[in-house]
Amino acid sequence: MLAVVWLGGLTFLAIFANWLPFVRRYNEFPKGPGARKLVAYRGKPSSDYWFGTDKLGRDTFARCIYAAQKTLVIGAASIVAALVIGGLLGMLAGYFRGWYDRVLTVMFDVLLAFPAIVLALIVVGRFFASGDLNLGLFTMEKRFFGVILVLTVLSIAPLARIVRAQTMSLAQREYVLAARGLGAGNLRVLVREILPNLLPAMFSVAFTGLAVLLVAEGGLAFLGFSVQLPFPTWGFMINEARPDIVKGGGWAVFFPCTMLFLTVLSFNVLGDRVARRFDIREATL
Amino acid sequence: MRYLLQRLLQLVVVFLIVTFVAMVAIQGASRDPARDLAGPLSSNEERVEQIRQQYHLDRAYPIRYAYWLKNIVTLDLGTSPTNNLEVRTLIGQRAPVTLLLGLYAILFALLIAVPVAVYSAYRRDGPFDRIVSGATFAIVSLPNIILAVLLGYFFATKWRIFTYAASKIWPWDNPVLHVKNFALPTIVLGLGLSAIFVRLLRADLVNTLQSDFIVMARAKGLSPRRILWRHALRSSLFSLMTSVALQFGGILGGAVVVEQIYALPGMGLLLFQAVQTKDLLVVQACAALFALAVVLVNFVVDLLYAVVDPRIRHARALG
Repeated sequence: MLAVVWLGGLTFLAIFANWLPFVRRYNEFPKGPGARKLVAYRGKPSSDYWFGTDKLGRDTFARCIYAAQKTLVIGAASIVAALVIGGLLGMLAGYFRGWYDRVLTVMFDVLLAFPAIVLALIVVGRFFASGDLNLGLFTMEKRFFGVILVLTVLSIAPLARIVRAQTMSLAQREYVLAARGLGAGNLRVLVREILPNLLPAMFSVAFTGLAVLLVAEGGLAFLGFSVQLPFPTWGFMINEARPDIVKGGGWAVFFPCTMLFLTVLSFNVLGDRVARRFDIREATL
Repeated sequence: MRYLLQRLLQLVVVFLIVTFVAMVAIQGASRDPARDLAGPLSSNEERVEQIRQQYHLDRAYPIRYAYWLKNIVTLDLGTSPTNNLEVRTLIGQRAPVTLLLGLYAILFALLIAVPVAVYSAYRRDGPFDRIVSGATFAIVSLPNIILAVLLGYFFATKWRIFTYAASKIWPWDNPVLHVKNFALPTIVLGLGLSAIFVRLLRADLVNTLQSDFIVMARAKGLSPRRILWRHALRSSLFSLMTSVALQFGGILGGAVVVEQIYALPGMGLLLFQAVQTKDLLVVQACAALFALAVVLVNFVVDLLYAVVDPRIRHARALG
């Protein structure tokens, strides 16, 4: 319940971040005569700066909210894309078996054995290093897109494996055999009989998977393969403020850490609830 | 047997595909691989040309790959321009560190997880079990970057109990410093693992404890301790073993981040630095080694399945 409240509140703030007055100064540096004093003040949360400021005097609260926006979009986009692709491939492999299964299994193994950092280097470091990407309807930062791409590719194989295993057991059920007996084609069986029964498991996996991806994004940020400013992600903020802990900048690390932890925890709780509700056995990433 | 051979072949194919794709991607992402390999500051055209010839960079990818495979077999991996060391030597120095870190992390996790899980399962739904269940859930949700930063701050910077990796990292160099260097990375990698193991083993044990042979053992008058440790744990160890092996890829991925944070000179840090300095041969070698590790562990799991449980062996051989 708390998890839902936390995620709901966070989503609300993330969506409306651009219009809420108190989170608009994500990138404002203090100017004028008092600036130096204000920056020296950094760290301590105050009524003016709820979460304190970082070493450059930027409002940590506002940055955290914008980071929420960016982190959640990255996580959600990746998991949805991975679920669609991985789910489809997993269903095909689990349903048709035979050669489909062999080829796809090898493909999943390749994806699992491919070192993540090399993938990140190539995608984020080289091909989507900087600039904007024109997607027709809207443009977005190439780097942003690159991070999503990396996370999607990384999560396809584990998701596909889960879906494959589930499909294999579902395909043996009586109602599937009955549908077959009534003359339903493969497509109909897949879409009408198997897919609806896969959905609860997929929902559960989506939540726990999202939690894993948020952490993975943090890891990428630590290696320097994440988004660009002005909008940070939580991982980016933690990594950025890390050297300043010693110099009293601990608050700028503490708050993004807390946000990230609570969010990951909430998604895990949600995934767990869904899994229990539908009595799904261990289906973690 | 036939199943295992088939699986082995499959994994060899996987390894070949991964290394080939990695090579094409790594070299393809570079504007000019030969120039990168000549070293970051080299503007000597002759040298660049010589390297192009030496590593066959003017040939098509399949041919390059064939040469690379040949070199892998003879362990002649070329020279890293940034360190001026042979890649082979470099990896020989770094790989044991990561291997050690991984082993420590798994040992640490198991040492915590097994007693905790056994006791939780024994007193199921008791206060201890509830606390453990909550705690493991929280720990699973605790990102290792957060853990790494917080532990690093308190234990290394503030209280100075442990160190960010110093020079003497081997146990035979200086055992005390060795422990100080490895403690934090081990905890960061191992804590999350232990939580995963506890949850898995507890669930498995709870199931096992309800099965007939346990009732039988109890009816024979065996002590609860003996039943727990000798009878129940043995049959549950199997799924734990599988889980340990399956977490291996994740441990390697985590090692890259943790080694970077704690400046521990292992494969992860090597790969990270090689990526930064465009040391293509090192990146390729590291990628190959990581892939090899994952593939090998997968194969060992399959092997264990077959050895430990004859039912699986026969079922799969038939199917």
